[in-house]
Amino acid sequence: MSYVDAGYSICLTVLFLYGVSLILRRRRLLRATNVAGRDATVPPPGTARASRPGIDAGDDQ
Amino acid sequence: MWRDALLVCGKDLRIEARSRVALWQVLPFALLVLLLFAFALGPGPSALKAAAPGLFWLAVLFSTVLATQRSFAIESGEGTRDGLRLSGIDPAGIFLGKAAAIALQLVVLQVVLWAGVTLFFGVRVHVVWLAVVASLLATVGLAAAGVIYGALSAGLRVRETLLPLLVLPILAPVLLAGSRAWEAAINGSVATGAPWLRVLGPFAAVYVVVGMVLYGPLQEAG
Amino acid sequence: MKPLAMRPALVRGLGIAAVVSLALTIWLGLWVTPPDEVQGNIVRLLYLHPPVAWVALYLAFGIAALSSLLYLWKRTRSLFWDRLAAASVEIGVVFNALTLVTGSIWGRPTWGVWWTWTARLTSTALLLVLFLGYLALRRVPADPEVRARRCAVAALVAFVDVPIVHFSVQWWQTLHQGASILTPTHSFKVHGSMLWTMLLGFVAMTLLYVWMLIVRYQIEVLKDRVGDEELEISLAERRAEGDAPPPAAGGGAPVEPAGSVR
Repeated sequence: MSYVDAGYSICLTVLFLYGVSLILRRRRLLRATNVAGRDATVPPPGTARASRPGIDAGDDQ
Repeated sequence: MWRDALLVCGKDLRIEARSRVALWQVLPFALLVLLLFAFALGPGPSALKAAAPGLFWLAVLFSTVLATQRSFAIESGEGTRDGLRLSGIDPAGIFLGKAAAIALQLVVLQVVLWAGVTLFFGVRVHVVWLAVVASLLATVGLAAAGVIYGALSAGLRVRETLLPLLVLPILAPVLLAGSRAWEAAINGSVATGAPWLRVLGPFAAVYVVVGMVLYGPLQEAG
Repeated sequence: MKPLAMRPALVRGLGIAAVVSLALTIWLGLWVTPPDEVQGNIVRLLYLHPPVAWVALYLAFGIAALSSLLYLWKRTRSLFWDRLAAASVEIGVVFNALTLVTGSIWGRPTWGVWWTWTARLTSTALLLVLFLGYLALRRVPADPEVRARRCAVAALVAFVDVPIVHFSVQWWQTLHQGASILTPTHSFKVHGSMLWTMLLGFVAMTLLYVWMLIVRYQIEVLKDRVGDEELEISLAERRAEGDAPPPAAGGGAPVEPAGSVR
């Protein structure tokens, strides 16, 4: 594998994995706030604002 | 006793997996030490190359102190240590378990440090088996001695400054033997390096046995 | 930034723009542009490395330092700046590590070594460790305002330290000129398609950074919200227990001491 190939693949793989991890973390937290919102005896303020699970802003390669 | 050891080892590792202190604090600290050595020894590559084996082991030793302090800090809560003592778990098992958890963390640390030394100091290990065996033996010794002294200083309020002072002199033979073994592994001369395994092996054996025997009384004293 | 972060269509568009421009950069960089006369194909790494470095060192950490300043300044104090700083630092650390890696890969065929202790490389490595420390500090559980203040100070100190390190190492190197050190030069001619590709690379990485910053900021907000809500739930449960009749015998039995397991 040439240096250029190695450099490009490492760079893009890391960026891709990090980007995906961000999306997944956000999704998991959104679900947690939705669940928490439903379980609480008093509905917490502002849950409606962020509850759009389909926020798929795309990721790179 | 072995099941107790596994129990304690698993507990320590699970705490680490959840808190990730070793990952976020001890590991960066080790890399930082390498960086600081570069600041200390000069931009020219020759000094760093010559000192690389010793610097590697110094970084490992300092990290052992940190990892040991952490291992006992997780039990410093109210009554935790008493709870452990009264739980009926074999003290030798506790010792082995804690030492095993530290040893595992040290192994991971050394792999990363090895990469760091190769990259930053420009050295290459040519006799890999020698370096690996030396590291494994040294790690057992470091972990065992660390846990003994960790338990010794555990209850004390000055433990942060006391533990390094107590344990580092004990670990000096490991530093010496480990550095020489790695130096030989880097230079490719097995003959000069292999004899040092004869220091690392017995060191590890002695401290494991001592720990198993003395941990009970040590716990009572703490 | 706040209203922006709440408009998912815009964020999604930004992400797509980032991906498209990055893909374009890669296509141009790997296939369309010619190899350099001096460096050959290795020059292709320079379509990625300087943009990544720019994002890490100036954009991400710069914004982190600025946000930290704005948090500490009473007039603009708001957890928004703290969360923005935290998000920016995490992204900065990722890009910083990538800067070192791509730079090292470029350096190996160019200078013959994977690493050398020049001012630029040394301060980049130190910056990584400094902000790793910030991330470690952030993980320590604390009241949000306390944590914010601590981290803001840590970020500013880290940011201020780097020029000092850079100049001292540089001075040290020039004093050391006698010894055989590599003084890598970044001189090469960028023209035509190579220049445009590199500029596109900067644009792509900047777009990527902004998208990541928004998402990571949202995560930071959500994390705090989940924490608050879980607290609300446990408080509500505790209150409910107080009202309900005490449970039947055995409900609140203490943990049995572990028997010796041989």
